[in-house]
Amino acid sequence: MIKLIEKIEGEAKLNFNFKDDKIDFVDVEFMSTRNIENILRDKRAFDALVINPRVCGICGHAHLIATVEALESCYNNLQLSNKAKAIRELTLNFELIQNHFKWFYLTMLPFFGHKQQILKATYPTQLMGKAIAALGGQYPHTSYAVVGGVVCEITQMDIIKIESYITQTLKFVEDNLVKVDSKTLLACKDADALLDFSGDLPEILIEIKKRDMLNHAKSYDRFIAFGENSFFKKGKSLKARVSHSISLKDVKESEVPSSFAKNVSYKDKYYEVGPLARAMVNKTTLVVDAHKKYGDSLFSRILARVFEILELLNHSKKLIDKIDLDEPSYIEPEFDISKLTSSGYSAVEAARGTLIHKVELEEGIIKNYEIITPTQWNLSGGTREKPGVSQKAMVGLSDIKTAELVFKSFDVCSVCTTH
Amino acid sequence: MKKKMRILWLSAISCNGNTHSFLNYPYMETFLDDFEFIYHPVIDSKYLLQDIVSKLISCDILLIEGAISREFKRADVSIVDIIEKYSKIVQKIVTVGTCATFGGIFRESGYKNTSGLHFDQEKQIENFKYLLDKTISISGCPIHPEVLVNTLYAIKKSTTLRLDGFLRPKAFYAYTVHNGCTRNEYFEYKVDNHKFGELEGCMYYEHGCQAPFTHGSCNKILWNEVNSKTRAGLPCMGCTEPSFPRQNLFSTKKNMSIPENLPVGVSKRAYLTLAGITKAFKIDRLEKKLFDD
Ligand code: SF4
Ligand code: SF4
Repeated sequence: MIKLIEKIEGEAKLNFNFKDDKIDFVDVEFMSTRNIENILRDKRAFDALVINPRVCGICGHAHLIATVEALESCYNNLQLSNKAKAIRELTLNFELIQNHFKWFYLTMLPFFGHKQQILKATYPTQLMGKAIAALGGQYPHTSYAVVGGVVCEITQMDIIKIESYITQTLKFVEDNLVKVDSKTLLACKDADALLDFSGDLPEILIEIKKRDMLNHAKSYDRFIAFGENSFFKKGKSLKARVSHSISLKDVKESEVPSSFAKNVSYKDKYYEVGPLARAMVNKTTLVVDAHKKYGDSLFSRILARVFEILELLNHSKKLIDKIDLDEPSYIEPEFDISKLTSSGYSAVEAARGTLIHKVELEEGIIKNYEIITPTQWNLSGGTREKPGVSQKAMVGLSDIKTAELVFKSFDVCSVCTTH
Repeated sequence: MKKKMRILWLSAISCNGNTHSFLNYPYMETFLDDFEFIYHPVIDSKYLLQDIVSKLISCDILLIEGAISREFKRADVSIVDIIEKYSKIVQKIVTVGTCATFGGIFRESGYKNTSGLHFDQEKQIENFKYLLDKTISISGCPIHPEVLVNTLYAIKKSTTLRLDGFLRPKAFYAYTVHNGCTRNEYFEYKVDNHKFGELEGCMYYEHGCQAPFTHGSCNKILWNEVNSKTRAGLPCMGCTEPSFPRQNLFSTKKNMSIPENLPVGVSKRAYLTLAGITKAFKIDRLEKKLFDD
């Protein structure tokens, strides 16, 4: 049975195969692409800073940061101030946070018998949008990160403003998502304790328990994250065993005949990326506890994404405190990018997981550009024998509505997947 | 209950940036009291995409986001067919964003004959000509949420909008993005000492700022209510214009040291004369850092 899945930043077709009233295989097909990689070919390196945010309307900023870092890695010893690094990290955090709010209130809640909560989605995301705009000029689609730093110069007044957006967003979390002060929640080590709180997140988790869905949506229990910064660690986690020595060399992209989305694997195996993967690699106590109790399930996946909002808000406050305003925002590279013949790559943690960009430059002109997006990892279309991460998570379910919930719990983004 | 205006939001070849920019509209609650979506790419709606393409659901306004090519389909139906079907029953069509208006970035995405609804960059196309009277263009990559929403209210109130040659409401597009930039003094006196990461200096002379010849309200109606690209220190990329995206952004194309694109309404001769005069000024305040004592 084929179902068109909508409102995933585009559409996908899921072809459900049943055996004994249970799903035993799901074919995932994405029907269109926009060929961003071709659009970039033969353009000037800097033009990628403007084109690439347009890969995606909801995580375009991650594409900007991945672009600028890929271009910077083409240089041998490019200097970047700590201030510029911190500012970039902040705007990326804010984008992750706005995505998670939208996913939770617009996509997830309706599956649990609630009406879609547009205002609860837009209020905090607008605050985060303001925080990005204060630094980057606008959101979405700024290109404020350039090779050598960021274009903005911030003053103490901007910092005060951004801090108040963060405080206001934290207050929203405490008043709505989990009704407890954020310090208590951040210190919480027991996933089951969440079920005793009130708020929109506990309500959903309780619903999952009530509906006997605690074991739903398990996949390979293999996680990976390549993006590193002052908060995220790089590494993989196999059934909670974490190793930090992984290499991009082992990442492989391959075409799928029936779909515009390419598959991505690490050492020929499919891995889950995203907030749950990051929390496993980072050993976030609360999420690791959920995983210990309920595995790589719907419960852990939802908890991890929402909890990341709080962690990133908290970490952003600390990042701001460390900014030294006397440092430069931008350090001019020693030579112009138009003279550069080189290649480079980057990996950043975008809202939905690891995003990889690779670029080849010939005298500053883009000769090749490759993008591997987070959703490609999670939505790889495997075979019956070797299904992709989301495919495996849907196997064994008995109805399509639940399968759609499981599919969307990976925060599917069609435009990114196909780019 | 007051009657809500019914909107169909249709995405063609796009990045969904307009969809998400729209979600930044600050008075969403009021908006949703006055309008409802029969379909929207993110917001829940009464109908599924399959209903939209297989039936004809009544609606008042058709919003199109993304570049258009007959080859591109939604729910297995060509976007062109969907537009043709709904264009007959709606009062107004609004092209949302530069792709839907002029082709934009995704004009290059490889589908056959990709363009905006009425324009292939500057060129008016034959297709859909019969809809010219119904269409309003909101260009921008992405659109500014206030520009879109206020245009929708104008339609609701049957306000007569004055449009420019590209069907854009003059109320928003008669301005240039240059208007309202905090760096204007530097432009006026040709102080070009802009460096990335600084509050000072104009980006028109070296860094490719297109604001003086780009129509839009980006510096008048600030983004996310707080800022603009040029205020932050990023050159305007001209994203509201048919030429978007030009090539070699971030640098100013010049002929014999005169910028190739002059501010709207300024002739080369006038520019040279002005430049000659302003060179005579040496304004200390503008040569120094803003926060120097
Ligand atoms: S930076 Fe751009 S918008 Fe600002 S004054 Fe200069 S030309 Fe105008
Ligand atoms: S400032 Fe320029 S690039 Fe930015 S949105 Fe406005 S017109 Fe587009």
